[in-house]
Amino acid sequence: MAEATATTEHVYVPLWRVRLSLFWKSLRTNWAMFSENPIGLIGLGVILFFALFALAHPILMNTIWEPRVYDPISGYDMEIPFHPSPPSARHLLGTDPLGRDILSQLMYSTRYEFALGILSAVVTVVIATTIGAVSAYYGGIIDTILMRLADLVIMVPFLPILIVLSALTDVGMIELALVIGLLSGFGGTTIIIKSQALTIKVKPFIEAARVAGGSDFHIIFRHMIPNLLPISLLYMMFVVTGAIFSEAVLSYFGLTTIQMSWGIMINTTQLFGYLLRFDTWYLLIPASLAITLLCAAFYLVGRALDEVVNPRLRRR
Amino acid sequence: MWRFLGRRFVQMLITLLLFQAVTYFLIDAQPGDIADLLTLDPNIPPAERERLRAQLGLDRPPAERFITYIGNFYRGNLGVSFQEYPRPVIDIIKERLPRTVVLFLTASILSFWTGFVTGKILAWRRGGWIEYASTITGVTLYTVFTPWFALMMIWLFAVALNWLPAGKFLDPLKWLDAPISANAVFARMIWSSFFALVIVFVGFWFSNRVPRRQRLVLRAASLLVPLVGMLLYWRLSGLGFYAWDIARHLILPVLTVTLIAYGGTMLLTRTSMLETLREDYVLTARAKGLPDKVVRDKHVARNALLPVWTGLVFSLGNSVSGGIITETIFSWPGIGLTLLNSALVADIPVAMGTLTVVGVMTLISHLIADIGYAFLDPRIRYH
Amino acid sequence: MTKPLLSVENLTMHYTTRGGEVAAVDDVSFSLHEGEALGLVGESGCGKTSVAMSILRLLPDNARILGGQIWLGDLELLSLPEPEMQKVRWGRISMIFQAAMNSLNPVYRVGDQIIEALELHWGDISRQQARERVAELYQLVGLDPALMDRYPHEYSGGMRQRAVIAMALACNPDVIIADEPTTALDVIVQDRILKRLTEIQKKIGMAMIYISHDIAVIAEVSHRVGVMYAGKLVELANTVNIFERPLHPYTAGLMASIPSIHGEKRDLVTLGGEPPNLLHPPSGCRFHPRCARATGICIEQEPPFQDYGNGHYAACWHPMEVDYGSH
Repeated sequence: MAEATATTEHVYVPLWRVRLSLFWKSLRTNWAMFSENPIGLIGLGVILFFALFALAHPILMNTIWEPRVYDPISGYDMEIPFHPSPPSARHLLGTDPLGRDILSQLMYSTRYEFALGILSAVVTVVIATTIGAVSAYYGGIIDTILMRLADLVIMVPFLPILIVLSALTDVGMIELALVIGLLSGFGGTTIIIKSQALTIKVKPFIEAARVAGGSDFHIIFRHMIPNLLPISLLYMMFVVTGAIFSEAVLSYFGLTTIQMSWGIMINTTQLFGYLLRFDTWYLLIPASLAITLLCAAFYLVGRALDEVVNPRLRRR
Repeated sequence: MWRFLGRRFVQMLITLLLFQAVTYFLIDAQPGDIADLLTLDPNIPPAERERLRAQLGLDRPPAERFITYIGNFYRGNLGVSFQEYPRPVIDIIKERLPRTVVLFLTASILSFWTGFVTGKILAWRRGGWIEYASTITGVTLYTVFTPWFALMMIWLFAVALNWLPAGKFLDPLKWLDAPISANAVFARMIWSSFFALVIVFVGFWFSNRVPRRQRLVLRAASLLVPLVGMLLYWRLSGLGFYAWDIARHLILPVLTVTLIAYGGTMLLTRTSMLETLREDYVLTARAKGLPDKVVRDKHVARNALLPVWTGLVFSLGNSVSGGIITETIFSWPGIGLTLLNSALVADIPVAMGTLTVVGVMTLISHLIADIGYAFLDPRIRYH
Repeated sequence: MTKPLLSVENLTMHYTTRGGEVAAVDDVSFSLHEGEALGLVGESGCGKTSVAMSILRLLPDNARILGGQIWLGDLELLSLPEPEMQKVRWGRISMIFQAAMNSLNPVYRVGDQIIEALELHWGDISRQQARERVAELYQLVGLDPALMDRYPHEYSGGMRQRAVIAMALACNPDVIIADEPTTALDVIVQDRILKRLTEIQKKIGMAMIYISHDIAVIAEVSHRVGVMYAGKLVELANTVNIFERPLHPYTAGLMASIPSIHGEKRDLVTLGGEPPNLLHPPSGCRFHPRCARATGICIEQEPPFQDYGNGHYAACWHPMEVDYGSH
């Protein structure tokens, strides 16, 4: 690797340590900028809260919660005559019409929401960053084809397709994550990342790498993509929001084969006809609020990151 | 400009074809076909099944069937609904499309306008609790779980306050001895509102070209004339009672979709205004001695509108989704609800038809947005 | 001497930034007479633009004017209510901005942007009269009047600059402030525009404040020159005197940094060091860290802005030469 040998000849520090310290340094300055923004911090706080919430579930199941009663899918509390039952000391958020603990369902679902969101965001970002970099680097016909494709994909109505698709096939968490990741990876995110890649393409270090004899592959993956990662990370946040939202909507419509999720919880409420009742608020509100909060949290972190990554938005 | 439009139109047609191809082959790839379903009965011999398949054209290669499908589609033949057999799909779409378009269009215009105006004002007032309150409201509306939000609206306005009906297109009890069908009343509502709006727009457009004193009179007249006209029309035709019933059912869904879309526009306008404020021409405008309000509305907002408009294009997909969700929750019998219901009962012709209609609607909105952008930005207009 | 058209007295302006208070303009005084072109020169960040923006009261939110007065005839601008100030802007003082490339609004026709100012300040003008006035202005700056119905993106850089000058002239202002109007242009266009600007200035006889970091440009356009350093006016004299007999070592340094085109052989001197950080300005004379002549007093005390005769002012404890003594 041209760049690596050039560096090690002069500086006797291993390259990875240079990289690591540079990374650490930029992380610290970016964190300083990020942490000035209370809205971003609130978002991060909510995400951390949900992460702990998800982690706490298996611990609780193995300690104080008896699986027969508290299992989110097959549990049933026989000591309570009527289900759904309102919040009590036994069930902090009450039980659903099938006698299952709502808090347990809420916590159990959280980890799947994270998994779904992050998986689809990773798929999106891998696709969008690669396409964006390749398209910006080569230009010409490759660029035209890929960008026209992106134009097509952003015009495609997302949810209706998912509705029809999931009605005809069995759609679980992983399939859903992949489809969402693919659709947003080929669409809007690509266009934004490509425009960013274009500004990187004209930077002197790309020219330098080319003069030093770096192959196209090397330049794209070692020089362009690392510089695109901040903006990719930013759009990951927005994809997570979209993915969690889409899953919840599809599950609420009863179109997925997912066993338990926040959307399924609302779907159950609807199936048993408790949707528009004030007295059974605990069936609807916790799950809906969880979806809203987690979506909002990722969105807020995205916005705050935007101010760090995008110099035009930076406050002086 | 015309070349730009022509190119865009061709691009749109290709997109639609690709979209149809993808959906067709996706659904076609699913195991089993209608003949399998019809012939689950063991009494029907395999030969008969094959005959049925041949009759339905299922034995021919997928590509050929797709071409037949596309040919039929552009001749207006979208097949027959399984669920409401033998009602043609095109008939169902014709009935439901206006309802969706009215909901979607009213809500889009309202949310864009209110979002832009409030975002513009909020950007001018930086700092303090107003900034925080508006950001929180905007983010909440933008990220709230749409079905839940719609349910809360029903809770509030239909259940708790009992001001508006909770859903559906009309109240059947009031229509028992209606002289004409609900669809006919709805069509009249659309046309009368359309003419009323045209009068308002023309009036306001003219009012900007007359001296200041006549301006107010003209504006008042262009608001009053259609209002009185509408009242007279519905009073004299004796359909006012029925139209009001539909209108009452329309308010809550429109309000819901408007509020959901409002947050995004407001936030985007605010950001865009703050960015535009730093431009040099804004300083020039202020140096020219223009009052603050003129600087804001004429120079900053006019330029800040461009990215907001682009954002609108990117968020069209979201609005379509929001529309479908809202239709479902409010049982508003439009395209979205039909799409979901047909998908749930595997009524494939209706699902395909409505999905294509949704696709066409999205494409047309994109086209309108593009044309709008070309008008808003002279740098595009003259290329 | 007649009463000055515009006089700035002891103007002090600070910016509040995250790092602290920045003394961008510190106790600056000068005056401008009718028909006069005053050049303000200094390195970037020395407060030239801040002075201009203070005169028009177009400072950003984080700026605060701490003291001083600005008189336009009998009007004190700093205490003028905002609606009155709006009448002064462009009606009596107009400005040609640094980034002329971007000072036209991209979504409106250029002519309309000029008409907007005309309609605002000359209330009773008809559309047709306004268009005639724009055509007249276009001819004055050397643009084809047909261009007024075009959009800014259809103009070249030089054309835009001319349009901006036409816009500044539109309402026959008493004073024009030109802030680096030619910096973004290539040299030939720059020269042409500069010539046109001085021609117009002479023809109309308006007063102009010309701001630039380029002392050669300043020499070409102005009658008097003020030299600014780190927020302070350090020297003010007529153009000939400032070039022939600079008093302040900083001015002398600036002169020495331009090559002579007359072929005289002399050493090109560059000023050592960097302009000071205005968050923590140096004590005493702000130039002392870079000054070869600095002594103890320069570090301890600020030099007064003193008249050395012939309207030649300077703020320096050890001026280069004093030969006005005989007057």
